Amino acid sequence: MTDQVEKTEKENRRDDEEGMLPSFRPAVDIYENADGYLLEAFMPGVDTDSVDVTVEDGVLYLEGRSANGRHDGYTLVREEYGPVKYRRAFDLSDRVNVEGIKAKVRDGVLRLLVPKGEQTKPRKVEIASG
Amino acid sequence: MSIRDLVPRMGRDKSLQRRPKRTSVSSLQEDMNRLFDEFFDTFDRDPFGLMAREPSIASLEAAYSPRVNVSETDRDITVSAELPGMDEKDVTVEVGDDAVTISGEKKDEQEKKGRNWHRVEHTYGSFRRVVPLPAATDAGQAKAKFKKGVLTVTVSKREPDQATRKTIEIEAQ
Repeated sequence: MTDQVEKTEKENRRDDEEGMLPSFRPAVDIYENADGYLLEAFMPGVDTDSVDVTVEDGVLYLEGRSANGRHDGYTLVREEYGPVKYRRAFDLSDRVNVEGIKAKVRDGVLRLLVPKGEQTKPRKVEIASG
Repeated sequence: MSIRDLVPRMGRDKSLQRRPKRTSVSSLQEDMNRLFDEFFDTFDRDPFGLMAREPSIASLEAAYSPRVNVSETDRDITVSAELPGMDEKDVTVEVGDDAVTISGEKKDEQEKKGRNWHRVEHTYGSFRRVVPLPAATDAGQAKAKFKKGVLTVTVSKREPDQATRKTIEIEAQ
């Protein structure tokens, strides 16, 4: 993690077009194999339409909106969570392949496959004879 | 990779090969391997020794507890719980007279196999949450559904039972 996808959380300073929704920092798990990273962001209440994944100036932004916890016509008796805007940002090193990032959302979890760039994969160098 | 692979192979080390008693070296190695295995086995389950010191805190059921909302109308009560990444196979819902119990465990996923973790912030493990309800319910009418990682249980309130209900007349003085 230290070099490929920096774990520094950059504060996202873009204008909050969602208005008054409180910001929530979703839990993120990151796994690695030889090909790249699997990143899972836990955002209950989001689906494909309410998630945005963007890369801008080497920063990966994960954003999601949930209308969680409210049911029309019902009165809340106990509230432990409410509608939120999920936000998280990661610095990407130039050793990941930004073009190859794939995202999908299932059961309130955003999963990203972030492939490593070719130069970070082990490569055998041929030695010329003579 | 099992921990066995991390223990240096003594037989391959030239300086050790000169030792006369190869058999005792290999049995020592077996002992070492066993100790390593035992140590890491315990370590995996409870890296900070919390089970011994603080069993109530360390129990997995206390470690993960989904956040819950309860809301009601005149007729129904809904209990919703944030359970991202889970589906109906991972969760059990029990409806009692005056409480809903949600329990379950996140199963290991196939796509994590063969990957090393870098960072794990999400809490895994089994959980059990008993949510008290604001009114008596008709458990037979309960419904549950999963959507976007949120479980919603809807229970009907019980019709007031005429037999147990009695209007008391107030005597005038």
